Amino acid sequence: MGPALLAVSTLAAPPAFSGVADAIALLVVLAEFAMLRSALARTQVRLYAFQSLCVVGLAVLLAALRHVPEAYAVAGISFLIKVVVIPAVVLRLLAGVETEVAGSERLKVASMTLIALAVAAFGLFILEAVPVTSTLPVAALGLAMAAVLVAFLLVILRADVVSQAIGFFALENGVSVASLVLASRLPLLAEVTFFFDLLVAVVFFGVLVRVHHGRTGTLSTEVLDRLRG
Amino acid sequence: MELSVYTIQLVQDLMVVGLAPFLSGAISHMEARLQGRRGPRILQPYYDLAKLFSKETLVPEQASWVFLAAPVVAFTCYLIVPLLIPELTTFGLPLGYMGDILGGAFFLALAAFSISVAAAETGGPYAQLGSSRAMTFAALIEPTILFVTFVVAIITTTDLPYAEAATARASLGQAVRPSHILAAFAFFLAVLSDTARIPVETHSSTLEFGMIDEARTLEHSGAAMALLKWGSAMKQVILYVLLINVFAAPWGLSSTRDASSVLLAIPIFFGKALGVGFLFALIDNSFSKLRLFKITEFMAAAFLLSVLAILILYVGHA
Repeated sequence: MGPALLAVSTLAAPPAFSGVADAIALLVVLAEFAMLRSALARTQVRLYAFQSLCVVGLAVLLAALRHVPEAYAVAGISFLIKVVVIPAVVLRLLAGVETEVAGSERLKVASMTLIALAVAAFGLFILEAVPVTSTLPVAALGLAMAAVLVAFLLVILRADVVSQAIGFFALENGVSVASLVLASRLPLLAEVTFFFDLLVAVVFFGVLVRVHHGRTGTLSTEVLDRLRG
Repeated sequence: MELSVYTIQLVQDLMVVGLAPFLSGAISHMEARLQGRRGPRILQPYYDLAKLFSKETLVPEQASWVFLAAPVVAFTCYLIVPLLIPELTTFGLPLGYMGDILGGAFFLALAAFSISVAAAETGGPYAQLGSSRAMTFAALIEPTILFVTFVVAIITTTDLPYAEAATARASLGQAVRPSHILAAFAFFLAVLSDTARIPVETHSSTLEFGMIDEARTLEHSGAAMALLKWGSAMKQVILYVLLINVFAAPWGLSSTRDASSVLLAIPIFFGKALGVGFLFALIDNSFSKLRLFKITEFMAAAFLLSVLAILILYVGHA
């Protein structure tokens, strides 16, 4: 009796470009899931830097494969602003501040993960319903949507100012992934405008964190329970 | 010289039975070295088994025949599962189609169930505590295993471990497709949990309050204990086979019935298994054990990866 042969029809693997783009988008979403449960503000900042690095990687990949020289510039500016400047500025702002943000979760971690999973699934299925008929990596687009929704959840479910600021920045990363996948030939000027918006947000959140911590001595937003005229 | 498929099947089982204690010993040795200790001999588990087999078997007063039958049932289950999974060959062996991944999982679950029932009827508080915890966490990790099986089923249109391994070997695109990697990682976390490793459990601990799997066997002794320990080592090899030869690195298996090629697959597998063991030892040394009520977070992370694998497979065929 000879070796039994397996005759199964397998689901074709995605093309290399789609596979790598999907994997990078997946890392962006997973970084957000990690942010949801991280106990230290500096861990969140590092996760944000890692997430931004993934976005830079995606931009370089697209620049190389689609022959878009502008995307290299976008990758370079992204690296400078999101991987180096923003994490450094936020860490600098947090210097001397007790960065323990554990306990700011409004729900238990396992429950938050399950809700985030449901939200991510919602994002993925919404994008599947959109009739995109091109060679775009559909999963990456869906994952970008999922990243945006999970970032919203991060802002909602963590009651501390650092998580809320990082949630906003992470949301921008989700939008970046979507814009890179959908419109990698977006004019450089438009991209630079986005980065400027982001920088303004960083300054705004920086001031907010300092003022809030100065007044209440904590990073938690739970103490903000009264409206004063 | 060509071996018959039935001989190869027998060699597979003998490999798991004979070399499982060696793998456990080698991992313990590596772990000790990483901690700066001299550690036990690599062959220590064999000496332990020999010692236990020569000892008297004691049965708690309240326990019935189930207490003595459980180690035998569990050991038998661990003998059956190796028949279903690709250990040495890329081609399916005749008994390999007796059951799919779920079939193997059922046998592993039956083994765990019989050990837990035996622990529950001893009347010993720690054994019962371990039994209750083991069943709870087994139920929590089960969805992850199911979703990993679904990934295999969607990709290969079967849920045979041989088919998934063949698919991953077929092209680099299949081996690195995001859903496959996610499923492999989720399964890796499930293996960490099922082999009683940190962050779920300290397998070498003697502190009863932190025990899960280990506590279940506290009341056993003699030959019954030897069978349980041996079975536990075999379970570890079985899970490593699934992790390595189905998901992570299904290369180096024999594609012919040639004796030299089949026998060469044994050291190749153990080389890969020692690599995984080293990784586990590193994790053991780098992380601390999670508090009991934090283990659900670990299970949630494994579940998250497996569900994401299904989602991106379903939505984007990634």
